This record gives sequence, C-alpha cells and structure tokens, in this order.
Amino acid sequence: MVMDLDHFPNFSYSATTTTTTTTTASTDEGCHWNDWSPVVDWEAFSGGQEDFHHLIDSMMDENVVVHQSTRPIVHELEYNTLSPEYNTMTDDETNNNEDCKGLRLIHLLMAAAEALTGAHKCRELARVILVRLKELVSPNDGTNMERLAAYFTDALQGLLDGAAGGGHGSGHHYKEEHHQTDVLAAFQLLQDMSPYVKFGHFTANQAILEAVTHDRRVHIVDYDIMEGVQWASLMQALVSRKDGPPTPHLRITALSRGGSGRRSFGTVQETGRRLTAFAASIGQPFSFHQCRLDSDETFRPSSLKLVRGEALIINCMLHLPHFSYRAPDSIASFLSGSKTLNPRLITLVEEEMEPSSDGGFVGRFMDSLHHYSTVYDSLEAGFPMQGRARTLVERVFLGPRISGSLARIYRARGDKEGCSWGQWLGAVGFRPVNISFANHCQAKLLLGLYNDGYRVEELTSNKLVLGWKSRRLLSASIWTSQDSDL
Amino acid sequence: MLCPFLTLILINDQKLHQTLSNLISFLSQLSIKFLILSMTIEDPDPNPPHDHILGWIEDSISYFPTFFDDPYEDFSGDSWWAHTQNLEQELINSTTATPTVTAAPTPTDSIVTSQSIPLDLTKKRKLPDDSSPKIPRKNTNRRINELEQGMAPRKPTANKKGNNKSAGNSNNNNGNNKEGRWAEQLLNPCAAAITARNPSRVQHFLYVLHDLSSLNGDANHRLAFHGLRALTHHLSAAPGSSFSSSSSAGGNTFASSNPKFFRDSLIKFNDINPWFRIPNNVANTSILQILAEQKQSTNLHILDIGVSHGVQWPTLLEELTRRTGGPPPLVRLTVVTPPANDQSINATPFAHGPQNYDFSSKLLGFAKEMNINLQINRMENFQLQNLNPQIINSSPEETLIICAQFRLHNLNHATPDEKTEFLRTLRSLNPKGVILSENNTDCSCNNCGDFAAGFSRKVEYLWRFLDSTSVAYKGRESEERRMMEAEAAKVLINLGEMNERKEKWCERMRSVGFTGELFGDDTIDGAKALLRKYDSNWEIRMEEKDGCLGLWWKGQAVSFCSLWKMDLRVKDDILT
Repeated sequence: MVMDLDHFPNFSYSATTTTTTTTTASTDEGCHWNDWSPVVDWEAFSGGQEDFHHLIDSMMDENVVVHQSTRPIVHELEYNTLSPEYNTMTDDETNNNEDCKGLRLIHLLMAAAEALTGAHKCRELARVILVRLKELVSPNDGTNMERLAAYFTDALQGLLDGAAGGGHGSGHHYKEEHHQTDVLAAFQLLQDMSPYVKFGHFTANQAILEAVTHDRRVHIVDYDIMEGVQWASLMQALVSRKDGPPTPHLRITALSRGGSGRRSFGTVQETGRRLTAFAASIGQPFSFHQCRLDSDETFRPSSLKLVRGEALIINCMLHLPHFSYRAPDSIASFLSGSKTLNPRLITLVEEEMEPSSDGGFVGRFMDSLHHYSTVYDSLEAGFPMQGRARTLVERVFLGPRISGSLARIYRARGDKEGCSWGQWLGAVGFRPVNISFANHCQAKLLLGLYNDGYRVEELTSNKLVLGWKSRRLLSASIWTSQDSDL
Repeated sequence: MLCPFLTLILINDQKLHQTLSNLISFLSQLSIKFLILSMTIEDPDPNPPHDHILGWIEDSISYFPTFFDDPYEDFSGDSWWAHTQNLEQELINSTTATPTVTAAPTPTDSIVTSQSIPLDLTKKRKLPDDSSPKIPRKNTNRRINELEQGMAPRKPTANKKGNNKSAGNSNNNNGNNKEGRWAEQLLNPCAAAITARNPSRVQHFLYVLHDLSSLNGDANHRLAFHGLRALTHHLSAAPGSSFSSSSSAGGNTFASSNPKFFRDSLIKFNDINPWFRIPNNVANTSILQILAEQKQSTNLHILDIGVSHGVQWPTLLEELTRRTGGPPPLVRLTVVTPPANDQSINATPFAHGPQNYDFSSKLLGFAKEMNINLQINRMENFQLQNLNPQIINSSPEETLIICAQFRLHNLNHATPDEKTEFLRTLRSLNPKGVILSENNTDCSCNNCGDFAAGFSRKVEYLWRFLDSTSVAYKGRESEERRMMEAEAAKVLINLGEMNERKEKWCERMRSVGFTGELFGDDTIDGAKALLRKYDSNWEIRMEEKDGCLGLWWKGQAVSFCSLWKMDLRVKDDILT
C-alpha cells in the first residue's frame, strides 16, 4: 500500500484518507482465518497433559475474543477508510476491528523485533514484516496503535538499515529536523494535552519553594533548561508571596552544551534573555548564567560560580516528552558533581520505564511499545478530537524519541539498563526529602484538570509518580545532600 | 513545611475549618494559581495582545518572532482551536472575577471561590470531552500485557526447541542460503511451539503468518500460506482427519481440476520443471535398456505405480518404434491408481488425478498411430498391499518391468512394516527390472520424530518445490502453477509422508532380494542432456556407491532414481 501523504493533507473527516492493502484480500478469504481459533481441538493439542490444561483454557478464552475480532478482517477495506475521528461514532464491530488490527500490529512488531535479534535472527524476515507493516499503517492517521506502530516500524527499519549500512540511526538531533515553529507549537500542545510537563515542573517548584522559604538568595543549577518555562511559574510564585518573606534574589545557572553546535548554545541564551525580561516584568530580582559542559557533556563542579549564602538547588528534568536524550554518563557526572557542592535540594524528574521482565532486545522492545502506547492513549484521551494536534506532537517529539530509544536498546543488547536515577541518587548517598502533603495535593489537583485516567501515586516518601491507568509514566523525586532536615 | 500560600491562609484565618476538604479547597487555589500562571499571565494590562496559552513566552514575544508571526494557519480553522481559545478566555474571566483570592483571603470568600473555580475548571476540561461520545479505547496495553505474559514462560522452551532444530539442520551448513527463506523462520518455530505446548507463542506465530501469507507472493509468501493452512488444520482437526471443507481454499488440487486443464498443466509443468520429468525419462530409458537385454523379443508389461498420470508414456512408445527390431509384439500397461477415499485424495500429493480423467483412450489412439499393440489395464482404487501376480495377470513369457515413482513412501514403514512387505510382493511378481524413484529426504512421520521435526522436513520439501516452480513459471502467477503447488502442499498435512533417504531405500530393496543395477550410459547421458533445457540450479548427481541417479535443486537433494533386478542368488523361500 502506498500511503501518499501529499494527497491527503487533511486527515479529518476524509473518507479517502487510507488506501487499503490488496494483498490480503485473497489471503483472508483463502485462509479460513475464522476457522482456526474457535475450532482448535485443544484436547488433541494438549495431548492430555493435565498441567497444560489450564493454560489452554485461558487460551480458549483469548480465542473467543480473537474469533470475534478476526472475523471482520475480511472487511478491512471498510474500516480502514474510516478516519479516527469517524471512529468516535462507531459501534462495537468497528472497535473489534480496531482491536484486532491493533493486536495484529503488535504481533507483527514483536516478530520483527525478534527477527532482528535472537536465536532465529533473520534479516529477510524482518524486512518482509516491515514491508507489511508499512502497508498497514501510517504515522499520520489511523488509530493510536496504528500511528504508534508506524513510528515503531520506522525505528525498526532504521535498525535494519543501520545494521546493514554501518550503525547510524539514532534520532539524536531531531530538533534540527523540524521547523522551530512546529517544535514550539507541538510543545504548547503537549503542555495543553497532558500534565506531563506541568507535573514535573510543579512538583519540583513546590519542593523548591518549600525549601527556600526563608532564604534571601536562591541559586538553581538547571541541567537541561530547554525553553525555561519551569522558571516562569516559580518566579510568579516567589513574587506573589505577598505577606510572606520578601522576594528572594533568584539566580539560575543553565548548563549549556557545546556538542550540538551554536544552535543549542543559542537556545540557552535566548531562554536566558526571555527569563530575564520576564523577571523584570514581574519584579523578580534575577540573574542568569550559563555553565558550559565539557565536550563530552560531562559536568565540572569547578566551572560553577557559587556565592556564599545562596541556597543551592539542583534541578534535573530528564527526558520529558519534549526533551532531547541525554547520555547516562553526562547525567551521572552532573549528579555526582552536584554532590560535592552540598546542595540544599535536588529535584529529579525522570521517565518511569517498567523493568523488562526478561531483558533482551525483544523484552525491552515490548516494554517500550507498552510505554509509548500508554503515552499515546493518554494523549488521545486528553484531546480525543484533536487528531491533527496529536499528530504534530507525535511527529515532533514522540517519533524521534521512539527511534532514538530503540536504537539505544538495540545497541545495548544484552546489557540490562541500570536502575533509575532516583535509585542511583540514593545509592551514592543523597538523602530523600519527604514530599509535602501540599505538594502531593497539588499534583492531585493538577491531574484533576486533565482526564480521569491520570493517577498520582506516592511511591516512596520522596517520590511522586504520574501514571496513566495502571501504567507509570514519569516520576518526580526530591533529595538533599545536607544533614539537616528541611 | 507547607507551601507559602497555604501557610498564609492558615495563619490569617483563625476560624478556618481545618478539615481535609477545606484544606484541599484552599490548595486548589494554589494549584490553579500555578496553572493559570503557566498558561496565561495574570496580566494587569486590560487589553492583552494575545490569547495564546503559552502566556509567559507571549510576554517575551520579541524572542519568538516566527512563532507568533505565524498565526497557526493550520489550526486557526479548526474548531478545537477556537474552542480552546474561548475556554481560555473563560478561565481568565473566572480568575478576574475573583481577583482577591490570595490578596484578601477572608475565609468565606476563599471557600466560596475555591469551590466555584474548580467547578469551572472541570467544566472547562470536560467540555471537549462531552462534545464527543467517549470512545471505548482499544485495550492496547492489555494486549501487550497478555503478549508479554505469554512471552515470559515460553522463552526457554522455545529457544531450546530452536536450538535442537538448528542442530539438526546443521548438516547442510549453508546458513547464507537459508537467510532468504523467512517463511520457515515462522513456520518452524510455530510448529516447535505446538510441540512445546505453548499456546500464546503459537498464536503469536499464527498472527504473523496470517499477515504475511499470500498465494500471490514469492515462494516465501506462498510457503507461509500453505504452512499456515497446515498448522491451523493440525490445530483444529482431530489427528488423521482430512482437510475436508477447506481443501479447495489453497487453489484447486489435481483431483478438483478440470481433466483437460489438469493434463495440459501437467505437460506444461514437465516442460519447465524436471521434478517429474527426469525420473520419468530415466524410467523410460531404463525400460528400453532392460528390454534390449532380453534374449528374444517378448511382450512388454509395465506395472505403473506412479504419479505421471500417463503423460510419461507417449515418449516411451515413440522410443519403442525407433529401436532395432521395432516395438514388442504387445505392450501391456497396468496402471495402479490409489484408493479414492477422502483422506487419501486430500492428503497424498500428486497421486490422484481428476475423477473422470482417463488417459487410456488418448494413449491407445497414439499407440495405434505408432503401430504399437498397446493394452491398458487400469486398476482403480487399488490398495497396494493387495497386489499379487494373479491380479496383474502377468505371465513368465513377458518382460515385466515395475515402475514405482513417488508412491511407495506413503506405505507405512513402522509397525506394521508395509513398505518392506510391499517390496517383497514386488519381488514375488518376478519382474525383469524395477525402477524406483523417490524423494530423497528423511521421514516426517510421527514415529520418526515429533510434530515439529516432521513438519520442518515437510516444509523444507515444499520450499524446494515452490522455489523451483517460481523459477519454472518465471515468477508469474497462473492457475497452472497454483494447482501444482496446491497439490504439492498436501504434503504438509499428509500423515503418511514416510520418506527415507536413498541409502535406506537401497537397503530395503536388497533385504528383500533385489540387487542394484547400474543405469546405462544412454540413460545417464539422456537425462543429463534433457536437464540442460531446465534451470541451471538443477543438477544430476550420480552416486558411485549404489549407482543411483540423484536430482538436486540448489545443492539440495530432491529425489533419486534407482534400477533393480532380482537377486537370483536369493531363494524366494528364504525371503518368505
């Protein structure tokens, strides 16, 4: 199937957004797909082994579902022509179709991942599966699972090509690939559609506010300042403490990276100018500094300018959906370097990836698929009607994230990824700081403004976790290296 | 320590009801405050220049010229965008309506506004939701969960299976050659999962196979198609049952084809693929060779236990007219066709022609033209085990030659050993020669290995067939090819595929009192010359040790032909 995007610039309400595969039509009719699952003679299959039986029983249940949903595969032509918006008005059968197609896609993706690695490695099989997947999905329309599968397909294709060509294929500097307008629009939409960004910022900011109540000077060292939007709300909070202590002087040192050229340096500068202007407009005493990381993005504490009497805060926002990937070595150098500075507070926000059951590329691939499908589902629930907006966010942020993350998993085959950064902090001697009741309540209230599916969970006394349904997405934790209790 | 706003409220408000709900209400002020700040600046300017959500960036507009100069053309027409803007306005209004929340926190005011604002906010966020019916979401995550749960326990067993299998395959150590054969990478693990009793793994492979199988693709797609059918058949049917209703789904087999189409297709196939043509040719020249060895001109009696459906004989008749001394006075052809019960028709490849297909009259007419005295005796529906000298009515005076091609491997070789028994019967017919052609491959019956092992051998056999037909038909789709392949694919569900390597066959033949005979040079040269018209991936390999003629495709043994005579040193009574 050729999905000609140029011909279909508008995804909404267009009945012609998808063309359909022609190859399966005859297969389906010939294959008696419907026949196999419900009539499988598990009695014969099981060979009478008792302990195997309950497994088969559970499989039978699955098969009932599969049967219901596989039957309409023959009508693929029909449901593929429906745009996702259209599907909001569909009946059970279409949902079955979607469900079934989603299941097919997951199986195909998993098989492709298996074919890229493992005992039965077969690049040709991977290639064929990816060809098939490209016939089935497009990143721009279809259901969540279809769009997600499209990005995973692209990522796997990158691995397949890269493995053949010579090992490139991580989505490292993806920002450059998109027009800045797109990036900003996507960022704004992301902010609006989901609590991801605000959850991290607000939880960290609230902890900072609580930690510096009586300080005259506050110094925040920010590992990855990005657009700096986190600090605008902090400033607002600081200046509005009208009956409280006087507004402290706020100094922010943003780490900048030489590695990706002038561009990233420039962005930090711009952020600084913007923050300075904003601080001036609301009367917040403020100064902004940059601290360059070494060329390999390691952090040298000696390069920081510190002033006696400042409350030092280390802020480390990692891998929010719109952030660039940061190498573990760089993060470790920052966090361990910070320890020597004896900061008042460390605020850490990181992605929660559920540990893969058995490791290996396929296991971690499936975890990743699971994780991003959760993200997709939550974004869709936030803005069910806004297919185009979601598509932009997916294209600008999530797609490159997926390919980058799969490339890393692929390269690190066999190696189990280390623990979370929070565990790491604990292990190197940082002490947890309790999340305040107020902070916890604030997070709950924040989520209350979004879809019902979001959850906040206090995993440990110093860690809040943002989840969607039963799946954890992001965590915010706070730490200190000082002995005195805050 | 509490947040400053909260402290403020607690200190100022002596009469505050310190209940949890109130606390949360007050906190909501705080949270809202934050949220509004992050979304829209609390702008004292009564004419805010922009309504955009990213308020604080807006404030420093000069840094983002491109962002705001570009007025979201893509989104401006979207109802959602306008909607959000309205909501944004609503939110701003609601805050300006209660501007003194933090500045003048009298208790009543605080409580009232704190209750009203969250309501507004809920309404705000709910609005877009309510305007569209809730979509019952695909349970993507649940599916993945199930998949993963299935993965965990199956891994070790599946791997073990795979390793065993690859160890078994390692004797043909051309791994590169196998790289392109992806369908087997799904079919064999699926069969292994069936053997290992891992339902979720089986289901996984069935899903993938279903999506990749096609009757119209390359050999791999077709193999996946036939393989998937066979696997689902295996899973859904009681062992030993026939393919029943779905038998025609993979294309018409011989039996379900039109007789004329069947005959034409078979002739065409022989023309482009030597799969049967070379064995037929070797048989014919061997018959001539044996005939030439007879001291006087005798009648020729050919017992045809084969799959050539008559198309092999016209060339023989032609050759007979050309030999010195002319054709034998009488040529008798006894054709044994297999029992036409459902199970056999659906399972045994190449043996069953269309119901009303009879080549006799055509062949008789042809013989008449050639001035050959031909008699054809068809023994329809014949159980091979029932064969005896009386039934074929052979006489000691005639030259009886048995031509057994691709039929005997369907005889049981375990218990009871029908195969040896039948070879013994053949010897009791006192033939002047026996030509035996068979698949040169290992057995795939249940007695010789588990399902996975047998299945992978059948798949390997079918792969060679499909691969060679792809080349033969030059990659073109056709009804003819489809029929040939559907017929070959029956092998996958045939429980009676009791192939043996040629060494084993030779051993059996010797054990019942036959002795191997070398093919004449004419036979070998003729076969080699004939093979030249076919694809260069085919080759003939002569086996020095036993004199068998092997047919190979891409370096893999496909079949062998062998010639046998009675070992006269062996007394009949010893054998029986």
